[in-house]
Amino acid sequence: MAAEQKSNASPLQVIKAVFWSFLGIRRRAEYEKDAVSLKPAQVIIAGIIGAIVLVLSLVTLVHFIIS
Amino acid sequence: MQAAHDHAAHAHGHDAHAHHPSGIMRWVQTTNHKDIGTLYLIFSLTMFFIGGILAFGIRAELFQPGLQFWRPDFFNELTTMHGLIMVFGAIMPAFVGFANWQIPMMIGAPDMAFARMNNWSFWLLPPAALLLITSFFVPGGAPAAGWTIYAPLSTQMGPGMDLGIFALHIMGASSIMGSINIVTTILNMRAPGMTLMKMPLFVWTWLITAYLLIAVMPVLAGAITMVLTDRHFGTNFFNAAGGGDPVMFQHIFWFFGHPEVYIMILPAFGIVSQVIPAFARKPLFGYASMVYATSSIAILSFIVWAHHMFTTGMPAAGQLFFMFSTMLIAVPTGVKVFNWIATMWKGSMTFETPMLFAVGFILVFSMGGFTGLILAITPVDIQLQDTYYVVAHFHYVLVAGSLFAIFAGTYFWLPKWTGHMYDETLGKWHFWLSLVFFNVTFFPMHFLGLAGMPRRIPDYAMQFADFNMIASIGAFGFGLSQLLFVLGVVKCARGGGVKAPDKPWEGADTLEWTLSSPPPYHSFETPPVVK
Repeated sequence: MAAEQKSNASPLQVIKAVFWSFLGIRRRAEYEKDAVSLKPAQVIIAGIIGAIVLVLSLVTLVHFIIS
Repeated sequence: MQAAHDHAAHAHGHDAHAHHPSGIMRWVQTTNHKDIGTLYLIFSLTMFFIGGILAFGIRAELFQPGLQFWRPDFFNELTTMHGLIMVFGAIMPAFVGFANWQIPMMIGAPDMAFARMNNWSFWLLPPAALLLITSFFVPGGAPAAGWTIYAPLSTQMGPGMDLGIFALHIMGASSIMGSINIVTTILNMRAPGMTLMKMPLFVWTWLITAYLLIAVMPVLAGAITMVLTDRHFGTNFFNAAGGGDPVMFQHIFWFFGHPEVYIMILPAFGIVSQVIPAFARKPLFGYASMVYATSSIAILSFIVWAHHMFTTGMPAAGQLFFMFSTMLIAVPTGVKVFNWIATMWKGSMTFETPMLFAVGFILVFSMGGFTGLILAITPVDIQLQDTYYVVAHFHYVLVAGSLFAIFAGTYFWLPKWTGHMYDETLGKWHFWLSLVFFNVTFFPMHFLGLAGMPRRIPDYAMQFADFNMIASIGAFGFGLSQLLFVLGVVKCARGGGVKAPDKPWEGADTLEWTLSSPPPYHSFETPPVVK
């Protein structure tokens, strides 16, 4: 099952993968790179951080609108 | 490989599970994923018809203005129980039934990871359903606070509400156990070479749905437990006079309730993503983006709950936040719809019944999605809150979305499950009657809502009469059309019709089609190797 070697992905690569996942699209080559290099734990942590960043940026946007 | 499967199908001698009891005890004691899947599907179909009969009661009353058949409080029981039964009794168990049948076969596993727990998760459901239905016969009748069981209505009702609460607790426990089973099966029991990113999309959507279920079912349990203690043990969680806050119930409920919406639609996305490539004879366009979009929808589903509560009074900042976050969900959902259409683009398409339902799904579900986007706009929602527009919206996503996908999946996999082809003519009649009557029923509800007709009322003003009459005629037509579905399934299950080949759909390429039709009792005793 885990035949592929998991090399460590850089934080930037994880962030990029999660960013594209929020949009819901991904280039095939990039995705294949993700599939072999990203570890589930990295993706989950980055996903949670990404969700927090999204919420904070929405809050900031809202703050600008109503102030 | 096929020879090996055939051998497995005939040689059950050394298989401990082959010594299963016969008759009713086979079903009570079964730990086999296919038997349990069948039980889930039969349970779901039964509840679908019970919920449907309640809907008949609703539409009969609304056929004309004035009170025809029911006391107003019984009408409220009908709407509430219709919602609860359809959501927790019909749609959710149907998808778990699909998961049980399909996930082990699609990932090349012999069975689910926790076979005994699987039996337990199913057999919790009939007692829960019995509690729910019994509530009609206790003093004060069934729960009548709407399927959302908002406090303070739910803290004031008779013992029927307690039965409803216990039923939801039990169904929630069943869902959590089912989900743990699904997650464990997917993560640990895949065939060699079946990496996560090679899994069929149905398996992916169920993996994400299972996580959602594990995350939010305890939240529902918490909310209804608080209602229960408010009712009987002197707490004041939702009682303003005792320092509580009824609006808090809505926050907690919808923190469960919005992900619940996606729990009911993500497996539908998965089914459609299997059916469309098979009948377009092309691989799914943008597989990776489908996986990413599903994850994205799941994450976003946790930050939008208060769009159900715009009229409860919230600061402008809150309204804007929930409006923006809700609208963002249109992006990954749009990606999915685009990918399905791109899959069909220049494909060699044929329109057998599963494909008809899948294409119908895309068309009608998208309409439900668009009305959702309209309702996401706070000032619009404040006008349309609790009107028939909302009823139209969520029936477009739940009936034309989830239910149509369930039909698509059933017709798609019925030849595999039963070993016999369904009756194509009957299937097509079922589709076209369902599609037409669905729209006759629910499209006029948009107009009713825009004109201001409130939901959950047994009587209405004269200006709403015509559209209500149309909707009622449509509803009866839709309900009766479902008898064709039962007829088709029963004919197939009893062995009527042509014998199904192992792979009746030439474009289908997932592992279950490498098995015989019907598949052996244990799917893959020797795991296949996926390249």
